[in-house]
Amino acid sequence: MGVAQHLAKRAIFLVITFIVAVYATVVIANGGGRIDQILKDQIRFDLLQQLNNNPAYRRLSPANQSLEFNRTYNATVEARGLNQPFLEKSVTYTLDALQFRLGRALQLKASDGSQAVGDIIFERLPRSLVLFTTANILAAVVGIWLGLWMARKALSPFDRGMTVLSVTTFIVPPWVYGILFILVFGYTLNLFPTQGFVSVPPPPPAPLYAAFPPLIAVGLILGGSMFNSMVRSKYRMVGYGLMAAGGITAVVWLLLPYDYFKDIELHMILPMIAVAFSVFGSWSYTTRNLVLEVMDADFVFAARAKGLKERDVLSKYVLRAASPPIVTSLALTLAAAWTGAIITETVFQYPGLGLLFFEAITVFDAPVVIGLTVMYALLLVITVFLLDLTYSMLDPRIRALRR
Amino acid sequence: MAISAPVGIKAAFIEAVRTKSGLVAVAMLVFLVLVAILVPLLAPYNVVQEWSDPTNWQNNPKYAAPEWSEVFVGKHLSKTILMPYNGEPGGFDKVRVPVQSGGQNYTFIVLKKSFDYEYDNFPSELKMWMNLTFGTTSPLIQVYWERPDNQSVFLFESAPTGAVNATLNTPTITYPISNPSQGALGGDPSKDVYWNVVDWMISQNVTNRSQIDSIYTNDGTIFAKPPRPQQLLLAKLDPSMLYASTAQVLKGTYTLRIVITGFSSIDDANARAVVYGTVYGLAGTDDQRHDLLIGLMWGAPVALAFGLAGGLASVLIQMVLGAVSGWYGGAIDEFIQRTADFYLIIPTLPILILIGLLYRPHIVTILAILIVLGLVGATTKVIRSIVLSVKEEQFIEAARSYGASRSRILFRYILPRVMPYTFALIALTVPAFIFLEASLSFLGLGDPILPTWGSTLGRAFDNGALFYGQWWWVVFPIAGIVFTAVAFALLGYAFDKVLNPRLREQ
Repeated sequence: MGVAQHLAKRAIFLVITFIVAVYATVVIANGGGRIDQILKDQIRFDLLQQLNNNPAYRRLSPANQSLEFNRTYNATVEARGLNQPFLEKSVTYTLDALQFRLGRALQLKASDGSQAVGDIIFERLPRSLVLFTTANILAAVVGIWLGLWMARKALSPFDRGMTVLSVTTFIVPPWVYGILFILVFGYTLNLFPTQGFVSVPPPPPAPLYAAFPPLIAVGLILGGSMFNSMVRSKYRMVGYGLMAAGGITAVVWLLLPYDYFKDIELHMILPMIAVAFSVFGSWSYTTRNLVLEVMDADFVFAARAKGLKERDVLSKYVLRAASPPIVTSLALTLAAAWTGAIITETVFQYPGLGLLFFEAITVFDAPVVIGLTVMYALLLVITVFLLDLTYSMLDPRIRALRR
Repeated sequence: MAISAPVGIKAAFIEAVRTKSGLVAVAMLVFLVLVAILVPLLAPYNVVQEWSDPTNWQNNPKYAAPEWSEVFVGKHLSKTILMPYNGEPGGFDKVRVPVQSGGQNYTFIVLKKSFDYEYDNFPSELKMWMNLTFGTTSPLIQVYWERPDNQSVFLFESAPTGAVNATLNTPTITYPISNPSQGALGGDPSKDVYWNVVDWMISQNVTNRSQIDSIYTNDGTIFAKPPRPQQLLLAKLDPSMLYASTAQVLKGTYTLRIVITGFSSIDDANARAVVYGTVYGLAGTDDQRHDLLIGLMWGAPVALAFGLAGGLASVLIQMVLGAVSGWYGGAIDEFIQRTADFYLIIPTLPILILIGLLYRPHIVTILAILIVLGLVGATTKVIRSIVLSVKEEQFIEAARSYGASRSRILFRYILPRVMPYTFALIALTVPAFIFLEASLSFLGLGDPILPTWGSTLGRAFDNGALFYGQWWWVVFPIAGIVFTAVAFALLGYAFDKVLNPRLREQ
């Protein structure tokens, strides 16, 4: 069985899982028909109010009034498709959801007023993607770097302290840090905005390139430190240079005029740090342990015996061998981050998918809930598949299948 | 005989506790368990009923910080002053004089209570309760506020309506004196109090009507904070009292005097009053005047029970399934592993939130749903891989050679062998369950009655505790959750160290 076959098998399994998950959501999101009842009651109530405000209706005789009411009510229920049997409806919903025909929201709207669920979701998706991807990359880079450092200084006070810090921080979900950060950095020190995505009213618009300086700054600082942990000491000036350049970029960015993108980025800092803070520990702890485990292996001993530099042994032999388990053990972290976004975004009132989900369930907007769960399931499936792909590239045992 | 495995649970546990983190973890857990056991003794409340009943908490101030927070402020912050009913120790003094004049009966009653106010800031609220007995005509109640500077301020007068023709005891009538903006209702005299206090200030030439109007209408935003009656009544009588930022407390002895004129010979009255402070107890209070300390302490048994029950049940089920999967192999293995993959992909939290919203389940139901949603999962996979390596060991071969059945080997040899790992996993799963419950409660979807850490946190968040700087309302529940989670995390870490000796010796 080759790699392609292995991946194809996984893909088929994931697609089946996806379909089952979507169907389960459709059933639960409708509360086994409960939501339909809520919606019908709502239609009845709205209709009664609407008709009672209509002078022509009030002039009718009671018999004609109820006749008129029933006619309009039945027409509305039929138009919304609420009178079909639930089993039939659930299959229709599932098929629609799988083809991304997500329908119209009952109450929620996109900012341009569109009620199409697709529009609402795709307006919010980039915000969540940017926030959580950046935060997770940040956490991964910091975590792996820290883990390598801990492994190199194994059992020193630094290692012990950092291990306890990692173990105790990753157990706490990001929204808890979020609340604390809002209290300390937001309202007490007044350093960052705490709620939402952009200030109200929004600051003047800016060209897209204005969005890049902070990304470049973070990239330079992290890249510099990673570079330094990989190379011999005489090249380390390069890394320090990169880090300094990153710092200067950050300062320059802070001095730039306050525009639209800067506002958004300032709004993203606290949620991003909260997410990164609750994730980095699992990266560093896993990396440390796996590296230490691999460090004892015979092939590492052989590499050392060849006279290779400790740094090369670590990056070329140890990390290489330790990476597949690192990647798998973190599949769960990433998956949890997606759904965990619901509460994190609610805490920060950050208008991404998570907050949309919460808004949708509080007004019983079933189409949006279904659409979102489909989206979440899809994101999870894609994440898992990408991990499978990475794993098959990293793990020599799976690569060996090719030969 | 069952534990023929090299590492038993007991040995692993003893060794885990010997490590420094294990010791700290056990100490933290012992503390939590002690709190959980002692709560019913320290706070003898039937929480489920008492917590949501506001009458149990009406003597506490709203939004009060912990008492010890005055150390940081450097001021003597006001505590709540209770003035109990006449007849109770330290209660109101009562003088009752029935009079007959011109064929008409009258009863004059004076209720009086003095208190010393020596704090550096103003009280948060003033409130008065009265019980009245009267005949056919309701009595006239006049309330006065006497200050250390010999000023007497007329607060309000009131003639309670209601049962007029029968002799009866009225139910307790509540008279809020402070905070007129908080929606003055029909029988609420706080608006009258406010205008009477203004009249008093004008009569003392401290201010004039147009200045009052400009302060209260033009600057009447939540940020300008014009002083409320509870501040004016206790402030030094000079123009600085007009602004909340400059008003100074007049320390000394105050007296609340209630004069009741009854129109029959049977009239009687009793009263109590509370000067609400700004600090309370060890953990402060919330919007519903709950003593947060009691809620926080009750959070410990709830979180421990929920986390342990959920962690034990889900990990043990997953362990058995993982062991079965690894030991039997074949179709069973394939089925369990694919189910585990499926469980890893379905979005648990969204589904849980949906169920919580639709059915508002009881805390036990939430637990059951969580366990069902976690029947198989990461633990199944971990245990399976451990079983796969244990399977090859010699003691299994030995057992097989003397003819032990497959299920006997599974339950007598393999499960005891993976037990220590399972304990490590339980220790790491418990915090996950605690945080899940807290997440749901935070969103207001948890158990509607029990005061859990998550629900306290959620209410604080909804009431803008972060915005108003009511840190105690947020920090303590978080501290509780994090403390518990960290205790279990450290325990798990200690187990991990013992079970992966490579991580220890180098």
